[in-house]
Order: sequence, then C-alpha cells, then structure tokens
Amino acid sequence: MHNRMGTSPQPAVGVPPHRALPPLRGVDNVGVAQDTAGSLDDGLLAVRAAEGDEDAFAVLVRRHSSRMLALAQHLLGSRTDAEDAVQDAFLSAWRRLPEFQHTASFGTWMYRIVTNRCLSTLRRRTRPLPLDTIPDPATDPDRSPPHVAEIDAATAALTAALQKLSPELRVCWVLRELHGLHYEEIAHVTGSREQTVRGRLFRARRALTEAMRPWR
Amino acid sequence: MALDEPPPASDDESMTSGAVPAGTPLPAEAELLAGAERLPCGRPLGRAWQQARDAGRAPDPHSSHCPHCRGAIEGLTALDRATRALRGEEQPDGHRLATRIINAVRTEVRLGPMLFLDDPDHDLRIAESAAAKVLRRAADTVPGIRAASCRIIASESGDATHVVTITVAATLDRPLRGRAEALRGAVLHSAEHVLGLAVTAVNVEINAVLDLSPVPSDDRFELRDR
Repeated sequence: MHNRMGTSPQPAVGVPPHRALPPLRGVDNVGVAQDTAGSLDDGLLAVRAAEGDEDAFAVLVRRHSSRMLALAQHLLGSRTDAEDAVQDAFLSAWRRLPEFQHTASFGTWMYRIVTNRCLSTLRRRTRPLPLDTIPDPATDPDRSPPHVAEIDAATAALTAALQKLSPELRVCWVLRELHGLHYEEIAHVTGSREQTVRGRLFRARRALTEAMRPWR
Repeated sequence: MALDEPPPASDDESMTSGAVPAGTPLPAEAELLAGAERLPCGRPLGRAWQQARDAGRAPDPHSSHCPHCRGAIEGLTALDRATRALRGEEQPDGHRLATRIINAVRTEVRLGPMLFLDDPDHDLRIAESAAAKVLRRAADTVPGIRAASCRIIASESGDATHVVTITVAATLDRPLRGRAEALRGAVLHSAEHVLGLAVTAVNVEINAVLDLSPVPSDDRFELRDR
C-alpha cells in the first residue's frame, strides 16, 4: 500500500486551537518516547535511524547486540575480538543506513555486516587464538554429575573443532545450526549461491562428525 | 551490487564461492553431490545421512546391518547432540557492549541541514534531524499511527517557511482520512508550539499497515524447526 494522502498544502493557521495533545514535557515524555520506540518494528526504526535519529538506532542496537555478539563469538572464538567486531559492525551500519535499501530485513543486513567484519578479522589474524577461546568444563566445580560433564566435554570439543574449520565453512555452519538461518538467507549473508552454501554445510558437517568421533 | 550491501572494500569483502565457476550447471541437490563421497560399503555418505534425518522411515536392510552406514549415522547423531547443547547455551549478555556502541554512535551524530526557526530576526536554527525527532514523536501520539520518515524542507522562497513530508504506518481500524487529518494537526501543532518552526504544508504518506502487537526484544529470530 502506498497511499499518498493530503498532498494539498494546509496552512498552519488552520489548526484548531482546542486540539488536545499530550504535553511534551521533560522526563515523562522521554519515558513515553522510549516506550513507543520499544514497540516499533525494525523497519520503522531503521528508517528513523537512517535520517539521523540515534534514539531509534539505540533501540536496534539493544535488540540485536546479544545475538550478533553470539555470532561473532562463535566465528572468532574470542569474546574480546567478538565485541570489537560487533561494535565496528554497528558503527558501520549507522554510517551506511542512509543507503540501506530495505531489500533485506535489518536483522539480515546486520548478520551480513557482522559476518564480513569477522571474516576480515580472521584474515588479519596471525597470532594464535587467545587462551579464553576454549572452555575447559573439567575445571568448573559447579558441574559434577558425570553425564553433565560428558555433555559439556562434547560441547567443548565441538567448539574447539569449529575453530579448526575454514572460516567459510564455519560461517555457514554457525548461521545454519546455531542461528537457524535458511539456505537462501545464508546465501544472502555470505554473498554466495545457495548451492555453494549447501556444499559448504555438508563439508562442515563432515569435518565436525570426524572431530566428534570420540563422543559417539 | 545493491546499495544496501557492504561495498567490497578491503576490510569488508564479500565472500566469493570460488569453487564453482559461474554458469556451470549444478544439480538440484548440491549438498548430496558434495556427499557423493562413498563409504567403504559403496554407499554415498550423503545418502546415509539423509536416512538418519528421515526420522519417520525405517532404515533399509542394508543400512541397518552395514557397520559403515551405522558409523556414519552415529557420527551425525553425536554431532547433532553436541550442536543442540551448544545451541542451548545462554547467549552472551550484550548489554554492556550495547551501551558502549550507543555511546560511540552518539559521538557521530548526523545532523543534516540546518533550518531557520520562525523568530523575528531569523537567526536561530535547528538541525533537521533534531526537529524531525520532535515531529515524529508528535505523530506517534496519534492513536494508530507510528512515524517512519520525516523530512523538513525549507521553502524556496527563502522566508523561513517549511514543508514537512511524513511517512507513517497506520492501523486500519479507523478511516485513514480522519487519521491523516489528526496526524497533520499534531505535526503542525508541534512544529509551531514546540519547535517554533513555520510550516506551510504537511504531506502525509501512509505506506505500511501497522500492527501494534509488542515486538519481543530478542526472540524474533528464534531457531526454526529443521
């Protein structure tokens, strides 16, 4: 629907003086504005943010940051690097929003920017992974039951195996298996074809099942 | 490349597939092609996995007796189990990071053009982005309306008057014409009495149907069933 309404100019003096509007005042009003923004969908917020409304962008950041941080952490294996990548990605999104064409949702667009940012971090990375990379459940005293320990160990092994995959395979697997994106969304996020995504997913699963052999 | 996609700058390159030249015909199930690698029993690995995923169907006589196929299925099952556990782990708390990002964004404010206020000497100005925020807020107070774009353009006459074009989403429970009039009134009132901005016209465009059910904060991308 694209109804253009009331295009005839209306003089400002035509406003009825008795029109009742809620007062726009200090603190109360800020609360109302934030409540309203919280109920807006991503599309409206992205349009507002594109026109320089940083409050609207703040709502988008709050809404998406945990998910993007989870993605970056799985791709980079380090919390510090992940936080840097996500911050860079959101700042880049803020600068590029005026050009955002809404052909994809804001969420998918952010997946794309964060993924690309993580890939460039991985390309630059020459040092070995930091020590916070691989959790060691054996040293966690709160988790004593053997089966819990076994599941934790398997999860830790999977996390470690994930870091050994090539970045392209890792991206496809994480987006599909941990974030639930569909093939066509992954193809959009990674800028590749759906068939390429399917092939990469297979190769990722192949490598990961090998790594998980001791947990069969 | 569309404008909304990251340009292929050095630090933001898109991934390229590389493996398959463009134009090469591909079978419908490339995943299965990739899985054409054969197990020692001669059966493709992709087919063994496919059977593991076809939960409703009983395995055929071969795979229920073949140790290679069983091994492949067990491997996938072990991976699926660990994947579920990893997926079930709590998401990292992004609150502190979000605050850091928002603070960084606020240092990069995009003001847009400066507009003259309607004061006698015309020497007070306000950024379009700041004025638009106030007008959008006024639009949001109209029941069933939420503002999207709000542009404020100075008239060519140079007399410090402006034309507002506001794009909104509206619910369909009341006639749109009346709602648009209420919106126009709210915007004009706010421009005049809150900002002190002379506005000669408010163009209203309704370009989306509004659904006012609350947007849950972080679960709109929940994992879909496979």
